[in-house]
Amino acid sequence: MEDASISAGDAVRRDLGARPLWSRLHLPWVAGALFLLLLPWATRNAYHHYILNLILINVILAVGLNIVKGFAGQVTVGHYAMAAIGAYASAVFAAKFGVPFWLALPAATLFTGLVGAIVGIPAFRLEGAYLALATLGLAESVRIAIGVTDYLGAAVGFSDIPPPVFFGRPVVDHIAYYYIVMPLALAGIYFSFCILRSDIGRSFKALREDSLAAAACGINVRKYKLLAFLISALYAGCAGSLQAHMAPGFLHPNSYTITEMVTLLLMVVMGGLGHIWGGVIGAAIVTVIYDLTRDYYQYQMAIFGMVIVLTVMFMPRGIGGLIDDYLAKRRFVAIRRAKANAA
Amino acid sequence: MLLEVTGLSKRFGGLVAVSKLDLSIREGEIRGIIGPNGSGKSTLFNLISGVYQAEPGGRIVFAGEDITGYPSHEIARRGIARTFQLLRIFTQMSVLENLLIGYHPHVRYGSAAATLGSASVWTEERRLKDEMMELLGFIGLTDYAEIPAGELSIGQRRLLALGRAMAMRPKLLMLDEPAAGLSPVNVDKLLSTVLALKQRYGLTVVIIEHILKVVMESCDTVTVLEHGEKIAEGAPAAIKDDHRVIEAYLGKEMGDAEVRAFLKAS
Amino acid sequence: MVAYVVRLCLALALGLAFSLRPGVADAQGTIRVGITLRMLVENGFKYGQMAQDELLAVNAAGGIKGQKIEVVLLDDECKPDKGVANTNRFIHQNKVHLIMGSTCSSVTLPMVDIVTKEEIPLIIPHSTNTTITQKGSAWIFRTSVAERFYAAVHAKYLAENAGKKVAYLFTNDGAGISFVRDYKSYMADTYKVEPLYEGQMQETDLDFRPHLLKIKSLNPDVLAIGGQIDAIARISQQSYEVGIPSKVRRVSASAASNAPVPELAGDAVKGLIFAAAFSCTDERPIAKEFVKMVQEKYKVRCPDHDFSQAYETAQLVKLALSRAKLTLTDASLADDRKAIRDAFATIKDYQGLASGPINFCADPTPQCRDGNRTGILVEYTKGGKDYEMRVLARVGFEADFGLKK
Repeated sequence: MEDASISAGDAVRRDLGARPLWSRLHLPWVAGALFLLLLPWATRNAYHHYILNLILINVILAVGLNIVKGFAGQVTVGHYAMAAIGAYASAVFAAKFGVPFWLALPAATLFTGLVGAIVGIPAFRLEGAYLALATLGLAESVRIAIGVTDYLGAAVGFSDIPPPVFFGRPVVDHIAYYYIVMPLALAGIYFSFCILRSDIGRSFKALREDSLAAAACGINVRKYKLLAFLISALYAGCAGSLQAHMAPGFLHPNSYTITEMVTLLLMVVMGGLGHIWGGVIGAAIVTVIYDLTRDYYQYQMAIFGMVIVLTVMFMPRGIGGLIDDYLAKRRFVAIRRAKANAA
Repeated sequence: MLLEVTGLSKRFGGLVAVSKLDLSIREGEIRGIIGPNGSGKSTLFNLISGVYQAEPGGRIVFAGEDITGYPSHEIARRGIARTFQLLRIFTQMSVLENLLIGYHPHVRYGSAAATLGSASVWTEERRLKDEMMELLGFIGLTDYAEIPAGELSIGQRRLLALGRAMAMRPKLLMLDEPAAGLSPVNVDKLLSTVLALKQRYGLTVVIIEHILKVVMESCDTVTVLEHGEKIAEGAPAAIKDDHRVIEAYLGKEMGDAEVRAFLKAS
Repeated sequence: MVAYVVRLCLALALGLAFSLRPGVADAQGTIRVGITLRMLVENGFKYGQMAQDELLAVNAAGGIKGQKIEVVLLDDECKPDKGVANTNRFIHQNKVHLIMGSTCSSVTLPMVDIVTKEEIPLIIPHSTNTTITQKGSAWIFRTSVAERFYAAVHAKYLAENAGKKVAYLFTNDGAGISFVRDYKSYMADTYKVEPLYEGQMQETDLDFRPHLLKIKSLNPDVLAIGGQIDAIARISQQSYEVGIPSKVRRVSASAASNAPVPELAGDAVKGLIFAAAFSCTDERPIAKEFVKMVQEKYKVRCPDHDFSQAYETAQLVKLALSRAKLTLTDASLADDRKAIRDAFATIKDYQGLASGPINFCADPTPQCRDGNRTGILVEYTKGGKDYEMRVLARVGFEADFGLKK
């Protein structure tokens, strides 16, 4: 350990010395985009396309939740309600006012962001379990309010939400919809990556660890709490809108209960709280596990319970944590080898 | 005067922690604040740095601006950096990140640029890291840059806390018991670091300290508190002969010889 | 780092592609049926199990014209998104020939849109929402009694057999309000009769006697009780306390079918009527046989109408399959689905467990697709722990009843 740690300073210096090659920064994104562009060809039927869409929408949700919970450390249970707000807002814009999807999506996203920032206000004073309770209360009231509002379809559901129209053609096939969801998900991951690697992300982490010390370092704690809630709500709103317009264009408050929230939390915990790729990895894995266990619905809850317990027991930092450890180890080994060669 | 505190009071319920305190700190001096446990030293820091709000009537003026009642981060942004008695470094973040957090008030790019990941952000980040690595070299923690701060030893943590405060490029640095729990060797190391930093950046420093050696050796002026009140102020040499100070510390009268022996020992 | 991320992506993708691969139904020559219901509630699991058992029983007997049946049974938790996912999976992954589902109307509604677009027959065992069949889909058939009939079963019977002077007393919860609203609108539309008396109370109220005394003085033919279990039991009891004679028929919302009502109300429950699609006290041989089967195989003392409707739906599926001419190859999937749909449309006057005959026809209209237009009225004949009931009447409607708007 001592050896390795002594070399770390050299490594940082070496990194800083390297020129900021465009390829170094952007190549992974280009590769990722290319990969996602071609991914549907690796699947066998439309159901797989549908599952890919579900995964990507969950990725957007989980990445957003990871920002507010994993990085900023705000224990919110209201993230799914934000998705509901985004979904219903988008549905209302499109179905009641005839706004095309391409406008309804950003409008719903912004609207949800605004609501999210307002929801963030209790976080000024509340922390931990108290904040969880407050957000849970808000989330449940959103669901119940939708369930009794006839304008929103109440308990029967909001039907006939128009699909996106692309050059006069409605996008109803899952594979076509994939090419709307995928770029948004990729952009979402990219933005979260940029945000979290910047000073904003560092400030989030600082207020998660110690808001008093963060304030003493000049971080406006309230502003950054609000920002975290706002950003995560933007993600949830975008995902909600995508849920609303996906065929068959139907929404129901039953799809936005605490169970969905727990599943979402599981994604982030499994992927790694506060790990940049955590939400992405977790969303993909949990969605696939959920689908694979569909046939064993009697045991599904038990399987998920077991997965949660095992995750918490054996990898408390999630898969992202394992990756971090592996990367750190590799780095030390490489540096040590380089030093040995030099000597 | 860089910092001018007048009539500052703070009560916690019935307990008076700081009472009608006046304090003036010249630009460029090193001020020591001593006093027995519970004499209000840390409360004074918390009042100045905005963690606590003072009772009405108190005034804090920093560099000509009245900062009474400002929130913590605003005060920090105006150039007052502090360390905490319990350090409060960010243990889950790397050593380098801890310093970068300190640098937060001076980050130049905005939220939109950060979100889009524009080239200017990466350039700025690179510059920041370069600068922080230099500071890290100054406090002697270069080789620990990527280590989570939680894995550092107590001495290294104290240095890191100092480094984080320095990263803020403050005009006034307030150190709350920076040498507590350190071995004599490390105390010397820390002291020399503080002095070097002061020289290099032209700082004004306020130190709360229990270890008298630190105060006596490095401070220009020493202020002594007891029960939230200032009982003495002056050069270290004058202070250490002040009987009220000795009384406050030891609770009884002592002869000069005894005091000298005590001071030598500590 | 770059190389690592690329490699990680590849590994994830491979894992994903691999995990999604299995489970594709390639078997030719079998009829594949997908069932999605709300399973994880009281008897929910048994409804699905029974439908599956009934269909698979065909295989033991050599299949339908030699063709075996394969069933995929999934749970949708009464959540539309789960129902949609199940439906997508049935259609694209399992490549089923027909789908049975679901329990909740809010799940069935989006399913209808999907099966219409993808052209797969959907047979609906439980959902009652009227708008389901009004969507104009040519691919759906409903065996449950739609709300438009259900809401008027008791109103029609009592108007013809007891009288048109109705006093309403209800608590202001969903069940109570809709029960009274439907009853009143039937009386107004059909007979131009206004309510004799209308009393509304809170769900938490305990003393209904002031209202009941006024009702007594008005001498009604029928006392209509809207509300949940407690309110129904209390109002029944207090109606005798204030001396409303037993010749005044008492009728209540469907919550009266729940066991606590006769247990709470005791003897006062005697003569209380409610509407259902099936009663386990049905005296017909076919019903007795069914109840016995359920008691032995599924350990349920008194199967409710969700049991009977699941059973009935399975029987209709078998009937339609036996009438359809199926090729059962990958290429013939679309034709087979169409053939099954057309076979369903030929079912006329099917007499089964259901409260009335089941009729389908080819038009994509509610008249053709709401198969069962008959409800039954059940009357309590004894209260207390060992309560007893009997089927009082069967009330049938014309196919276009309730479609005026």
